[in-house]
Order: sequence, then C-alpha cells, then structure tokens
Amino acid sequence: MTLSVATDLLTLLADTRTEERPDNQLDALTLAVAADLPVLLWGEPGIGKTATLHQLADGLGLPLTTVIASVHEPSDFAGLPIVGDDPAVQGVPMAPPDWAVRLVRAGRGLLFLDELSTAPPAVQAALLRVVLERRVGALRLPDGVRIVAAANPRSSAADGWELSPPLANRFVHLQWAYEHEVVVRGLGGTWPRAVLPSLDPGRLPEAVDMARRAVCGFLRARPTMVHRLPDTETRRGGPWPSPRSWDMALRLIAFATAAGASREVLSMLVRGTVGDGPGLEVMAFLDRMDLPDPEHLLAEPHTALLPERGDLRQAIMDGLVEAVRQRPERSRWDAAWVVLVRSLKMGAPDLVVSPASALAALRRADWVLPPDIEQLTPVLSLSERAGAALSERAGAALSERAGAAR
Amino acid sequence: MTGTGPRAALTAEEGEKLYAARLYAAEARPYLATALFALRVVESPTVPTMAVDRYWRCYVSPAFVAATPLKDLAGVWVHEVTHLLRDHHGRGERLAAAKDLTGRGDRLRMNIAADFEINDDVYGDGLPQPRGAVHPSQVNLPVGLLMEEYVAQLSANTYRRQLAWLDCGSGADGLTRVWELGPDGAHTLNEQERDLVQLRVAQAITGAPGRAPLGWRRWAEQVIHPPQPWRDLLGAAIRSAASAPGVGEDYVYSRPARRSVCLPKVVLPSLRRNPPRVAVVIDTSGSVSDTELGSALLEVAAISRAVGGRRDLVRVVACDAAAHLVAPVCTSAGIELTGGGGTDLRAGFDRALSTRPAPDVVVVLTDGQTPWPRSQPACRTVVGLFRRPRVINTANPNYRPTPPPSWSRVVTIN
Repeated sequence: MTLSVATDLLTLLADTRTEERPDNQLDALTLAVAADLPVLLWGEPGIGKTATLHQLADGLGLPLTTVIASVHEPSDFAGLPIVGDDPAVQGVPMAPPDWAVRLVRAGRGLLFLDELSTAPPAVQAALLRVVLERRVGALRLPDGVRIVAAANPRSSAADGWELSPPLANRFVHLQWAYEHEVVVRGLGGTWPRAVLPSLDPGRLPEAVDMARRAVCGFLRARPTMVHRLPDTETRRGGPWPSPRSWDMALRLIAFATAAGASREVLSMLVRGTVGDGPGLEVMAFLDRMDLPDPEHLLAEPHTALLPERGDLRQAIMDGLVEAVRQRPERSRWDAAWVVLVRSLKMGAPDLVVSPASALAALRRADWVLPPDIEQLTPVLSLSERAGAALSERAGAALSERAGAAR
Repeated sequence: MTGTGPRAALTAEEGEKLYAARLYAAEARPYLATALFALRVVESPTVPTMAVDRYWRCYVSPAFVAATPLKDLAGVWVHEVTHLLRDHHGRGERLAAAKDLTGRGDRLRMNIAADFEINDDVYGDGLPQPRGAVHPSQVNLPVGLLMEEYVAQLSANTYRRQLAWLDCGSGADGLTRVWELGPDGAHTLNEQERDLVQLRVAQAITGAPGRAPLGWRRWAEQVIHPPQPWRDLLGAAIRSAASAPGVGEDYVYSRPARRSVCLPKVVLPSLRRNPPRVAVVIDTSGSVSDTELGSALLEVAAISRAVGGRRDLVRVVACDAAAHLVAPVCTSAGIELTGGGGTDLRAGFDRALSTRPAPDVVVVLTDGQTPWPRSQPACRTVVGLFRRPRVINTANPNYRPTPPPSWSRVVTIN
C-alpha cells in the first residue's frame, strides 16, 4: 500500500456537500457576539463547538484565534513576569503571549477560549480577566475583538469549574447540543450551512424602542424580578437576573429585533442572560405585547387582524371586554360585538362564548343589540349545550340576557 | 364506531358538539383553558379517533365525534391536551433514545403508558372518564406512576388489543403518523410558543392551587422549578469544594516550573497536586434509611476518588447523639455504620474536624432533624439533605427542624 492511495481515499471522504439549514443555536451565538457580550457555550466535549466557531468567524469575516485554556499556564493569560535589570526602578513587566500581540496588531478577530472547564482554577481565574476586562498581561485587546468561551457542563467536568454568581452574571450562557438529524446527515456527506442573521439598518430605532418597552414594561409589572441572587444549588453557576443582566437582555432584544430573529432565538438569548424562569416570563410578556391594542380594535373593528391561535384570540377578546367595561359607551360596545362576530367567522365558536356573555352583561337598558348579533346564535346553542351538560350557569345567563335585549 | 364511513368534514351538528365539549372541558378545568384553546382542530377522515401531534394540532375523526357523547368528548379533549402539556412526545423521544425503543410495538407501549399516566388522575370532579379509557388497574398496575415507570412495567404481553383503542398521535409518544401534517403545515405552535402555553397553564394552577388536583399542582411546580438530578448536584458541590484554591491541582510559586530552565528571566509557577481530604459525617439516626445512606455514601466515595483523593483520605464519621469515628474507607463495601438513636450533628462536626490532619471538605448526609453548629468550621461544608414529608410531632406540634446554616452548600436528595 502506498500513501498516495490513502490520500485518494481521504480526499474522497473529505468530499462533502453543504445544504442550507436554519440553526437557532448559531443565530443566537451570532447575535450575542455581534452585541459584543461575552458568551459562554456549555456543551459536552466533541459535539462540534469548535467547528461552529469556524463557521461563525467566516460569517463575520473575522480571523479566528483559538486558545485551548487547559494546555496553558496562568501566566500565559495574566502575562509572564519578566525580571529586568532594575526591578525597583522599572517594575516587573507582564509580557503578553504571542497570540495576544497578533490580535492587537490585527485590531480585530474572534478569540475562542476552549476547554475552560478542564483548566486548573488558577488558569480559569486568569482567563476571566481576559474575558471581562479584555486584558492580557499589559495589553488591552481592541474593541474589534470578540470573545467566546466554551465549558463542559459541571456534571461532566472532572474538576470543579463553577462560576461564582458575579461572574455568571456577566456572561450570556448558551446551551450547546447536537441535533441527531444534522449529525446523521453530515456523516452521510451533507453538512448544514447556516445563513447568519444580519441587522437591518432601517429597523434600528424601532428595535431599541421595542426592547426598552419590553424590559421596562415587564420590570414595572414584576418588580421582584429586577434582582434575584441564585438561592438554591440548582441555580448556581447559571444566569440570574440583576440590573446588569437586564441591561444585557435589553441589548439582545434590540439586536434580535433588528435582525428579525425568530422568537426561539430570542428566547435562548434572554433565558441565557437572566435565567430560565424570568426569561420565560419576559417572553410571555412579549407575546402579549404583540397582541393588538383593544383601543385600536374598538376604533377600527372591521379591519383589525385577529390571530388564528385560539388562546391568543381569546386573550384579545377578554381585553376588549375589559376595555369596554372600563369606559362603557354605546359605540364601543357595538364595536366589540363586531370583533366578536369576526372572530366567530374565523372558526372555533367556543372561544366567543365567555366574552359574549361578559359583553352582554355590560348592556345598558337603552342599548339595543346590533343586527350582527344574529350571527352569534350558534354561540348561544353551543353555550346551552355545554351548559346543559355541565351546570346551567353560563348558558342560561347568556340566553336570558340576550333574550331580554331582543 | 358507527358505520358512517370515513368523511373529511364535520357536519354542523358535529362541529357544534365538538366545540361545546371543549367549552365544557374548559369550564370543568379552568386552568387548562389556555392550552385547550391553543389547540387547532384539523378534521381528518383517517385518524381513528382524536389525536394530537407535537405541534399542537388536534386531529378529529368526524365519525368519532358523531358516535361519542358530549361529556365523553370533553374528557377526550382534556386527555389529548394533557399529552401535550406533560410533554409525552419529548419524553417518549428521550425514552426511545435512551432505551433503544424504536419499534412500532414500543411506541404503542409508550402511548398506553402515557394514557395510564393521564387517565389515573385527570378525571372525576365534574369531568367523567370517557368510555373505553385505559386504566392501569386493567393490567393490575398501581396508579400514580409516571409514563416512564409504566413503560418499564408493561411487558409486551400484558396489553391486549383492546388496550390499543386510543391512538393519540405523535403528541403521545413522538412517532410521526401517516395522517399527520408534519412541521411545515399550517397552524403549528413552535417550541417557544409551546413553552409559553405550558407556563400560562402552570401559572393558572399555582395562582389558584385550591382548584387543581395534586397531580396537576406537582406538574406545575416542575414546570416552574424543574427538578435536578441530585447526584450531579452533590457531585458538583463536592468537586467544587474539593478543588478550591489550596486543595487539589493548582499552580504555586513556591517551586520553580520546569519551563523556567529555558526562560531564564521569567518567573513561572509550577503545577502541584494536593489531594483533598474529605470527611463524611453520616446521620445514622433511625429516621434515615440504609438504602438512602448506602447510595449517597457510595456517591461521595466515588466523587472524592474522581477528584484525586485517595481512599485513605476519605474518613467517615457515623453520628447519632454521639459521634463514632469509622476507619478510613478502604473498600466501598467495607463501611460499618453504628448508631440509630436521635441525632446531634454538632458532635459529628467536632469529631470530623478534630482528626489530624484536618479535612479540606466536610460532607454531611442527613435528613436535617438536628441542631447545627453555631459557627462556621474552618473548611468547606456540603450538606446532602434527604427530603422528608413534614410529619407533625404529636408531643411538640410546633417543632420545625432548623434549616442547614447558610455557610453550607445544600443539595436536596430525593
């Protein structure tokens, strides 16, 4: 056997294609890096974190510098103390390693600190200064350098890498996992090629406004969520809410909005910044923020767009009835009926029952039912059937009120 | 099923019945209303009864609606939405991956196990159980288990054909059916939207806990605070304590590094090992069972070995009202524990700290029914706390065990 045949075989094996495939993890990583926030990738060894970073560096047009933390010594990051001729006069300079010098000379680049968790504690401590203060020895890394770190989950880490709460609070934590489908297809010869999200210059002011409304609106409603130190063992080492991480979340929401990223990507970013519980609640708040304003619906009941999803549509109709209850006027009451009839035409008649019953209860003596109400007859029978089967409550009350109105 | 033959669309009468049933279900289980309304109905002639896919579409057979009474339909609505809320498809997939259960028969077992998990606790209290719903008692299994536990206990021959009445779709076990529309069709909920629906239901349950049965309250608690594997947590706590600065493997400047030879003007630290000494204080009072202690102790020994501790550096102190020093651990099986009365862990702490050389880490395994030392010892402390249901002491009904002190890291073991 000659090596040239082996080379031929290797060439054949390396001949793979790529296909376009949306990748939420990569989108989230790109946005966090673009927003210039330190990212920490948590993932088991060997699942393709390094390959992803190569793709990211290509996409952002940045040269990639990979530093394997576990094979370095603390002085490689804190700077090597060089004893000069007269330390008392000149001091002891901390000499930076070559990769840092090259990064500073280039002015830009993607610094990937791999295997953070297998490095001894002293190395980790030295590295954190690199990540947080961007200092390597006497050098300061330029602003054009973006930093990503990777660590193994603490359950699989051999030694005790664990972030203290103040450090955890400074990172965007992204959980990295492989997709079964991607791996199987990739080994079969087709690897995914992700299209990185790009920021839309026209949407920047809108994005900032949206992010501020979301975070401020949410924190106004949930003041206890502003600052919450992790109190149990399960939350240690992970993201938690504080004014600093809320500021990071605000930045990420603005970036995700300007890039038109999906809600799933945004959810990964926000949960990785303020923690799972608060992150999920912000996402729920954003979800409701997207719903049309009841006042707009009442002003233009014939043209408003209603969502297909039943639970959202019901939330809108409940808000509508509530708005009419706040300021009961004949025209508003009529407009609300129009919206209810429109919702009925979209299907799922059971959604309309409870708002219709509540709206009927708001009727004043001199208000006559609008002619549209005829179309709500199926709702009455629906409510009666469910009511007859359950208890008489809702159905009877509704049909009584509607009958009286007629 | 009646002989009407497959039809694609619901008649007006059937549609009304189907939606009236959903209304009924939402009235009977108000905390599930968000989830019920989030389901999107897809009329399908090929689905056998009613089924859900993981994208929150609900497939409905018109013939099934025609043949089923309204109250039973309400029960089926709740049944199907429960599959989705309890993430049976995700759990089914994980189970399939972990145990290699990829065959069609395995999926059927998963569907039945998921049905058992649902049917033994969602009905009653105004919501009748639909006719033909499978129940664990039919195959002599206890109620109240999880899907995973039922799968393990359902052997291939315990279920008969009659148990396969409900094919609940990929929402129940993760296997895609031929009649499903797949991820690209209309009216799907993505993962993020599914999480939010779950959160809203959980919030509705915890907001008015009196109205929801215990099973649902426990579910809501898990959605909001998902449980963590205690072995991982205990391991992380001990590892972190045992490799803190000063212990374990770290760089020191007390000796020059070997690299110094080739870098004459540079001062380099060298890597030194300092294996941690671990003292394990074990509560041997009557309230802690041997199995619990055994599994936790093995865990501690394994972890301290993994962080570089030698066996002779792990010492065990058995402690009830007095402390007994047990010889260093030499084999994992060779630990004999004495004691069995009441507990006073202060004695155990004193004993563990008085050994020379002093330990770097003290790990305490207890159920917490004990007084704690008043001041913080000079080393790191990890407390493995066995969870206990609160029992009222009849002699002293106001007694509450003192929680472990704030200077210790507490891992709850259950």
